Amino acid sequence: MTNVWTVATNTFREAVRDRVLYNLVFFALLMMGAAILVGQISMGIEESVIVSLGLTAISVIGIFIAVFIGVGLVSKEMDKRTLYALLAKPVERWEFLLGKYVGLVMTLTVNTAAMAVGLYVAMWTVKHPLAKSDWFLLVAVYLILLKLALIVALAMLFSCFTTPFLAILFTLGIYIAGVFAQDLRTMQVVDLNPATMKLLRGISYLLPNFDNFNVMGAVAHERGVPGRLVWQDTWYAILYCASVLAAAAMVFSRRNLK
Amino acid sequence: MKSRTVAGWLLGALLLAGFAGVWQLQKRIDAEQRVTRVEQDELAFRSGNLVKKLSLEYAPLMGAIYWTRAVQYFGEKHRLHQKNLELLWPLLDIATTLDPHLLPAYRFGSMFLSDHPPRGAGRPDLAVQLLERGLKANPDYWRLYQDLGNVYYFDAKDYPKAAAAYEEGSKNPKALVWMKVMAAKIAAEGESPETSYFLWQQVYESTTDPAVKQNAEEHLKLMRVVLDLKEINRLADEYEKQTGHRATRISELVQAGLIKGAPKDPLGYPYVLGEGGKAELNLYSPLLEQMLMEKLR
Repeated sequence: MTNVWTVATNTFREAVRDRVLYNLVFFALLMMGAAILVGQISMGIEESVIVSLGLTAISVIGIFIAVFIGVGLVSKEMDKRTLYALLAKPVERWEFLLGKYVGLVMTLTVNTAAMAVGLYVAMWTVKHPLAKSDWFLLVAVYLILLKLALIVALAMLFSCFTTPFLAILFTLGIYIAGVFAQDLRTMQVVDLNPATMKLLRGISYLLPNFDNFNVMGAVAHERGVPGRLVWQDTWYAILYCASVLAAAAMVFSRRNLK
Repeated sequence: MKSRTVAGWLLGALLLAGFAGVWQLQKRIDAEQRVTRVEQDELAFRSGNLVKKLSLEYAPLMGAIYWTRAVQYFGEKHRLHQKNLELLWPLLDIATTLDPHLLPAYRFGSMFLSDHPPRGAGRPDLAVQLLERGLKANPDYWRLYQDLGNVYYFDAKDYPKAAAAYEEGSKNPKALVWMKVMAAKIAAEGESPETSYFLWQQVYESTTDPAVKQNAEEHLKLMRVVLDLKEINRLADEYEKQTGHRATRISELVQAGLIKGAPKDPLGYPYVLGEGGKAELNLYSPLLEQMLMEKLR
């Protein structure tokens, strides 16, 4: 486990050195602009739009980092040939992979936490003091983080067996398909035969259901999120990430690195 | 060296002239396209469900954007005194499809739709549709019943339905007591200036939006005038009973001790007695035009 932690902390440091956290400046500017503008150009949605805009920005920026950096975690080490030096040491391939994963999730956690603080500051400027229901925001931010952890796992899986460009396409494709997983399950199509319907239903359960983590609408309107849902989502993310990372480790361990 | 400096100045001048030309040209193109641009938007994004799918997980933000577009569209039309509000309903439809819990879109949107031109689109039927959709998605929010009752009362002039809406809303434990009182009053009397004044007062007190507050304030002023005129006429009738002739000036009512001082409208203009001794607004009062507009509705 020490090896995993060493790789993770180095991945985190590398991300900071690569100025990944610079996106926070963009986020801060966006939130400041929204806090000033929205009250003047709209009606009655000053608070809810700050929440939905803030959560959307946290999610979109996080997805970009998760996909683009996640895909590069392994391929960059291979291109720069630093991977060979590392694997020559007593580090297992799965340890390397897990360390990289944990490192990026750590980066995303720091990034998301900083953006959440920025969001609270923006909210405070629009209405102060903050209400009790405003703490539901933290639940939404936590669920976004779970989603990002899942996307990183998928990006790493794809980057283990294909080119970075295709890995990005596959990850974004699975993300979009995952957003519609619920629709795939409940879709009513007259022409499809029962076998195809069953197949679609099966695929909908295999796809990562990103809709599970979406509570933006509820939180933007100060509605609570059931604790049981948060618990179930946490386990869903853990199980899904573990499965995807196991698959990634299997592929990576068999990959010919010569 | 010298020729390079000249070329530099020339290029700089060309750059400035180019951008100045582009700026002026864009202004003309904007003026040319002002009418058609909005129509193109409508064609591109007509279906709320399609926009929802395209929004992926971010439908609440898109809902807020569409609601802002609706506000901007309504405000712009209002500013330009244009009565064509064809896009208002599609914009509100998309905004509430994207975010069914966007309460301001139902509350303010129904006002935009129901109010008579030039204040609104003059479509109380669509306002009712919007509010009913809002109530389906937010059954616990009693203020939507208040808005529904207001639309039926003020714009659709359907008093049984207005009373039913207030009655239904009053069943919510969070609803204010006056909802039940209004339900009974409207069911019994239909429209009356006192009820209208009270309902506008509720709108005025319950909103934080300056535009809605101003609209409610204007209506309250007009309602105040109606109530004042009614009272002055009542006193003029009493004066007639006492003296045997109809007063032709307000000062006669003052001298008889029926009124303390010359009564003034909410803008400070004294009321007058017109033809047949009936109380009227002063010819110089800006409220006169608004009253006539209300009567023409």
